[in-house]
Amino acid sequence: MHLIKKQQEIANANFTSRLFVEGMAGTGKTTAAIERIKSLIKEGAAADSILVMTPQATLALPYRTALRRSRVKTAADVQMETLGSLAFHTVDLFWPLLAQDLGFKDRPHFLTLEMVQYYMTRLVEPEIRRQDYFNSVHISRNRLYTQIVDNLNKAALIGFPHDEIGERLKSAWLGDVEQAYIYDDAQASANLFREMCREYNMLDFSLQVDLFVNHLWKLKPVRAYLTAKYRHLIVDNVEEDTPATHDLLREWLPLCESAAILYDKEAGFRRFLGADPKNALLLKAVCDVTIDLDRGRVMSPDVEAFQVAIAPHLGEKDGQARPKDGNPRGAIVYPQDTRYQPQMIDWAVNHIASLVHDQGVSPREIVVLSAFMPDALRFSLQSRLDERNVPNRTHRPSRALREEPAARALLTLAKLAHPDWGMKPSKFDVTYALTASIGELDLVRARLLTDTLYRDGRLLPFERISEAQMQSRVTFELGARYERLRSWLDTYITTTSLPLDAFFSKLFGEVLSQPNFGFHKQFDAANAAANLIDSARQFRQTVGKIEPDVPAAPEYISMVDAGVIANLYVRDWQADKQDAVLIAPAYTFLLYNQPIDYQFWLNIGSTGWGQRLYQPLTQPYVMSRQWTLGDKWTDALEVVANQEVLYRVIAGLIRRCRKGIYLGYSEYGEQGMEQRGPLLMAVQNMLRRLTREEQHV
Amino acid sequence: MNLPDDFVFSQTSLQDYVDCARRFELRYLLRQRWPAPEVDDMLEFEARMDKGEQFHHLVHQHLAGIDGEVLLPRIGDEDVRRWFDVYLKSGLDGVPEMRRPETTITTVLNDTMLLAKFDLLAVKPGGRALIVDWKTSERMPSTERLAQRLQTIVYRYVLAASGEAFYGGQPIPPEQIEMVYWYADHEGATQRFPYDAAQYATDTAYLAGLIEEIASRPNFPLTPDVNRCRFCPYRSLCDRGVQAGRLDEWDDGADEIDLTAFTLDIDQIAEIEY
Ligand code: SF4
Repeated sequence: MHLIKKQQEIANANFTSRLFVEGMAGTGKTTAAIERIKSLIKEGAAADSILVMTPQATLALPYRTALRRSRVKTAADVQMETLGSLAFHTVDLFWPLLAQDLGFKDRPHFLTLEMVQYYMTRLVEPEIRRQDYFNSVHISRNRLYTQIVDNLNKAALIGFPHDEIGERLKSAWLGDVEQAYIYDDAQASANLFREMCREYNMLDFSLQVDLFVNHLWKLKPVRAYLTAKYRHLIVDNVEEDTPATHDLLREWLPLCESAAILYDKEAGFRRFLGADPKNALLLKAVCDVTIDLDRGRVMSPDVEAFQVAIAPHLGEKDGQARPKDGNPRGAIVYPQDTRYQPQMIDWAVNHIASLVHDQGVSPREIVVLSAFMPDALRFSLQSRLDERNVPNRTHRPSRALREEPAARALLTLAKLAHPDWGMKPSKFDVTYALTASIGELDLVRARLLTDTLYRDGRLLPFERISEAQMQSRVTFELGARYERLRSWLDTYITTTSLPLDAFFSKLFGEVLSQPNFGFHKQFDAANAAANLIDSARQFRQTVGKIEPDVPAAPEYISMVDAGVIANLYVRDWQADKQDAVLIAPAYTFLLYNQPIDYQFWLNIGSTGWGQRLYQPLTQPYVMSRQWTLGDKWTDALEVVANQEVLYRVIAGLIRRCRKGIYLGYSEYGEQGMEQRGPLLMAVQNMLRRLTREEQHV
Repeated sequence: MNLPDDFVFSQTSLQDYVDCARRFELRYLLRQRWPAPEVDDMLEFEARMDKGEQFHHLVHQHLAGIDGEVLLPRIGDEDVRRWFDVYLKSGLDGVPEMRRPETTITTVLNDTMLLAKFDLLAVKPGGRALIVDWKTSERMPSTERLAQRLQTIVYRYVLAASGEAFYGGQPIPPEQIEMVYWYADHEGATQRFPYDAAQYATDTAYLAGLIEEIASRPNFPLTPDVNRCRFCPYRSLCDRGVQAGRLDEWDDGADEIDLTAFTLDIDQIAEIEY
C-alpha cells in the first residue's frame, strides 16, 4: 500500500504517542489507521488490546473488512466498539458493583429500541392520554416516543440531568406558549419513562450510557479492567461522536500506550444524534502529536474543482484554489428541460444503465441519493432499474415486518391457531395468508377457499365444499395442501400451546417450508420469518421477565398490528456487499463513509437539502454542549444553521466521489410544486458564474 | 475459490462442514437463515441454553474481578447456582495466574483466516498455556469423541500457531499447550487434552486439507447420514423430514451451542426514524 509521508507517520511511527489526525474526508486517515493497526500487531501488540471506536457500527466496517483481508495473523481480533456497545458490555459485566448503591437486585433488562417503543406505549401512553399531553402535535406515535427517548439520550450524551430537558428547551424558545407546553409534556413523559425503567429494572440506551460514564467508569476496578484490556486506541470519526465519548477519551488517553484520534474536518453529520465536532477538537490538547492530512486521495481534479466552485454559493468564503488541471463542468452532468419528476427518474436511469451496460462501470460504484428517499421515489427507481437489468439495492433505516408477505401470513395463521385470543382475521387477510402459504395457490382460488371454508374465525375441512365442480376448480391437489395446513392448525389448537415464536418456528418447519408449500426454497420468505421469530422471541423473553403476567403472544400481535413493534430489524450487512447500485438518503450514504465513483443527486430543487426535520419535542442545537443556557434560538440562527448543514452535506458528498456527479432536477416536484430549494440555487449561481468566467477568458 | 476474501473459519463452521457440506454452504457461504426448530422441545432447549449463558457470564464476571461472594447470592436459578458454586471451589485449580476470559485468536492458514474463541486462556509466559472450556451439558462425551471434535483440534492449533502476543513475542511450544473441558454438571470433572509437535503437524495438515477442500469443491452435497438431519433446521429445505428430533436424544455433550450469538444491537439507536 502506497502511503504519503504524513500517512506513514500514522501508520509506521509514533507507536507510543497519542496522535490527533485531522483532515477532510478522503485524505486517507482511515487507510493510514488500518496500516497502523497492522504495524502495531507486527510490533508485538496483542490484537485484542487494540480498540477501534467509532460513533456507529457501520463506520467500523472498513476496518473489519480490511483487517480480515490483510492476512496478518490475529488482525481479525481487533475489537470494535461504539460508546453504546461499550456501555452495554461494561454494564452487563459489572452491574453487581452498582447493586448496592443503585439498588439492582438482578441482572438488569437491557431494552432494544423496539422494546423501548413498546414500554413507551404500555407504560407512558396511558398517562399521556389521561393528561392530554401533546394534543397539538400531529405526528405518529412512534415519532413522538422516539423524540422523548432522544431527549433522554441527549441528556446522557451531553451530560446534564434528565429532569432539565424541558427547561433547557423552553429557555431557548421564542415563539408561542403552545410550544412551551409541548416541552413541558416532553419533560413529564421523559420523567415517567425514567421512573418506570427504575421500577422494572430496565435499562434503555440513556441509562446504560449514564451508568457507564457516570458510575462504572469512575470505579477503580472497572477503569483498571478497561484500560488494561485496551492498550491502544484508534478512534475514527470522532467529530461524529458525542461529548460523553469525548469525556471518556479525555480520561482514557493519558492511560493508554498509544492512540490515534481521527477527525474529519467540515463534517458532524450526526448532529441530530448528539455529534459535537467542536467538543471533539478539545481532545487535541490531550494528544502529543497533531498530524494534518491535506491531500485529497479520492476526488478527480474535475470533482475537486466542482467542490471548490460550488462552495462560495453555499455560504462558504471564496478562498480555496481550484486545482489547475480541474474543470468543474467536467465533473457534473445535468438534464435539460425536465419538467416533472418521472422525466428526471428516466433521465437518471438512462444514464445509470449506460454507465453499467455501455461503459462497464461496476454497479457498486454508483449511488443514487436524495435529501430524503420517500417510498414512492425509491420504488420508481427500483422498478425502472430492474427493467433495465441494473442490479440495485435500497437502504432504509427500518422497515415494518408486517409489510413482508411471509410475516403477514404468519401473523394471520397465528390468529387462526389461537381462537382464545379473540382476534379473528379478516377474510382479506385469510385469503392473503393462504396464497402465501400454499404453493401454487392463486388469489382467485384462495378467495374461493376463504369464501366457502372460513367461518367464524376457523377454517373448515376441504371436504365441506359440497359441490364437486367447486372442488375441482380449486383442484384436489391444492385442496390436499389446504387440508394439510388446516389439520395442522386444528391439531395445534386442540393439543398444543406454545409461545408465539415457537409456534411460528414449528409451523414454518413442519408445514410452510415443506415441499408444495409457499415458503419451500423461498429464501426471502425464510429471512422474513426468521426476523419475525427473533422479534417475537425477544419480546417474550423481555416481557416474560419484567411482567410475567402479561400474555405475551396476543400482546405482541396487537402491538405489531398497531405498528408499535416489529418496525425495525437489523439490516443484513451481507446484502451490502452485492454488486448493485445503492439507493439511499444522503445522510445514510455519508455515514457509510465509503467513496464511490459516480453519484446521482435527485431532486436537487427540493427544500429538503439542508433543512432540519420537523421535531416538535426536541431541538438538536439547544440540546448540545455548545448551546449557552439563556440564549434564544432565533430565525437568523436557524438560517445560518441550515446553510452550514447544506454546505457540509454537499462538501461531504463531493469528497466521497471519485469521478462524476449527476444532478437530477425537475421543474416540479413530487407534489407538483415548483422546485426552488437552496441547493438548486447554488448550482445555478455557480453555473452562471462559470459562464461569466469563461466569457472573460 | 468458493470463499469470500474476508471469510473466517471457526471450529463451529468446520464442524458443520465435516457433519454436512450442504449445511456449511447454507449457513456460512449463503448465510441463509431457516428458522425451523432444531429439537422438538424448543422451550427446554432454550432454557438450557439460557442457563449455560448465565453460567458463562458469571464466570466472566468473576474473572473480570468481581468477588464470588457478591455474585453467588444474586443467582436465581438453582442449577446455575450449584454450577457456579462448584466453579468457585475448583474451577480455577491449577489454572495459571494470567487469565484472559473470552479471548479470541485468529490465525492464517492456507491464506485463509481461522478463528478460535476461548472461554478462558491462561498463560504463564515461558510456562504452560491452558485453554479452558466451561461445559454445562448433562452428558460427558468420551475422550475419543472429544479428541476428534473440531473444537479440540482448532483451539490447540490456533494457540500454537498464533499465540505469540501472549507469550512474550515467542511462539508457544505445542508441548506447553493443554486444552481442558470442565464440566459444571459433573462436580467440575475435567477431560484434558495435552498437545505436542507431532499432533500440531498432523492438525496443520488436516486443517489445511479441509480448508483447501472447501475452497475448491464445485458443490456441497447433502450428508448421507440422514440421522444428522433430525437436529438440523434445514431439514425441510433438504427434503429430509418434517419433525425435529427429540431433545432427549440430542447429544448435548458434543453439539455446540454458540453462546456468543446473543448480541443486543444497541447501534439501532443510530438507525431510527425521527
Ligand atoms: S438437513 Fe441434513 S442434509 Fe440438509 S443441511 Fe441439514 S444435515 Fe445437511
